[in-house]
Amino acid sequence: MAAPCRKMASRSYSQLLCCFSRTAVGSGACRRFSVTPIDRATPRASTAADRATSPWSLMAAVCLQRLPVITADCSPIEQRFKQMLQQMELEKSMLSDHELRLMEDAERMSRRQADDYDSDEDLGDQEIMMTQDLEDTWEQRLKNFQPAPRVRADVDEDLTSVQRCLTDSLVLLAEQQVGAEKLWLLPQAAWQEGETLRRTAERALDSMTAAGVRATFLGNAPCGVYKYKLPKAARTESSVGVKVFFFKAILVDGTPGSAPTAPLLWLKKSELQKYLKPAYMMNVGRFILNL
Amino acid sequence: MFERFLPLDPLEANCTDNPMLNCDVLLLHTVYVNMFLSFCFVSGTAAMNERQYRDMPTHGIGRWRHLLLKQPKKKKDRNQQKELVSATDTAYGTLNVTVSGYDMTVVEHYSQYIHNFCNRLNIKVADSYALPTKSTEVLLMQEQGNKTYVDAVLKTHQRVIQLSSLNASLCPVFMDVILKNQPEGVQLSVQEHTEADYQARFKARPELEGLVAQINQ
Repeated sequence: MAAPCRKMASRSYSQLLCCFSRTAVGSGACRRFSVTPIDRATPRASTAADRATSPWSLMAAVCLQRLPVITADCSPIEQRFKQMLQQMELEKSMLSDHELRLMEDAERMSRRQADDYDSDEDLGDQEIMMTQDLEDTWEQRLKNFQPAPRVRADVDEDLTSVQRCLTDSLVLLAEQQVGAEKLWLLPQAAWQEGETLRRTAERALDSMTAAGVRATFLGNAPCGVYKYKLPKAARTESSVGVKVFFFKAILVDGTPGSAPTAPLLWLKKSELQKYLKPAYMMNVGRFILNL
Repeated sequence: MFERFLPLDPLEANCTDNPMLNCDVLLLHTVYVNMFLSFCFVSGTAAMNERQYRDMPTHGIGRWRHLLLKQPKKKKDRNQQKELVSATDTAYGTLNVTVSGYDMTVVEHYSQYIHNFCNRLNIKVADSYALPTKSTEVLLMQEQGNKTYVDAVLKTHQRVIQLSSLNASLCPVFMDVILKNQPEGVQLSVQEHTEADYQARFKARPELEGLVAQINQ
């Protein structure tokens, strides 16, 4: 496979400025994410003479992931441990400024209510706002705040929605025609002359999904490869099989503008097994991290 | 003091070609030594057990460091800038992974996690430092009046991990794991390291700048 490797090495290196942020429930279901490429030199075109003909045809696929939006729930042991640590921290901690002020106020109140109270003792201006009142206003404001629900059962059931399962990372699958049958695969496209494999993967993504979906590719190097031989009937002298190279990408903007061209699914790694073929699943499962 | 008891090197004095005679001389020498030793034990053990240091003829026999040429002392280079590695076709150059957020424990733990992860993947970490904390005061308008009052002070902490070079094939794996482990409320940013970034860490010196401006005028 001299051709694509040389292509990837000759492509001059694009510097990426990546900025990822993770704040509490933003506008969409995805994190804010920006990538600014600094350098992008044009790749040198290799001559036709040094490309060796090979019976394997090449394809590039994209493994588009939507990262988790909120933290996963703690398991029972984790919850108990967390509570214990919080309790220990509370017991070891010193009093904060707010708590000290509360204590001072309580002391002053008790002094005023005592029988031998001397008003001259009360030096300094009386605070307009007592500390206890401050605390009450804060409590009131907290009660008025309504956070969005963490888990919505109906959205979780919908496999095509990108906002399902906010605690897990999801992978995009598309149903594609391969040979005679329709299979669920990671979106892939055939490699064409004069383009890099990463460009092929980008093209695959653009063709499968709607226009509004933006993704950032994590690098020029593929993360996995899957090769399969064509069935004996379809094999010829020049095409024995296909090699598929996978590229990892992160979803930036989740809101699709128009309807997708092919049926899409957003699945967790545990659900992938039901849709992918076993050999394919074994290969793909190696680079999809279950974090 | 002990030379009185030792004969003046009997071997040299009685050196003849006859080996037989030399043997006799040796025997004589050992007899003398034995006599000397017995004499010592008779007089007292202090003489034998005294430590021989500077008086010993062989004192300083192994010294060699005084024979080397003196090397000039290097000045303390703690504040020197580490060399910037430039990007090649297969690897990134010097990268800055900045972790910032409001909660210091979370930010510090996450930066420690990234550092340990780099060590595990054998990615060379050039530097690991903290940028100064920025305080943000949140002022809210009072409900009754027009005055604003200080509601909260938010401190933004920043930690930077500088990687000297990152292999392009390792980059997707590295970024994927780091993104998936990003905690809530923490911003991550991966950028190239520039000279300007390094200079921004130093405090501005207004007197020096004033003097320089005066000189240039």
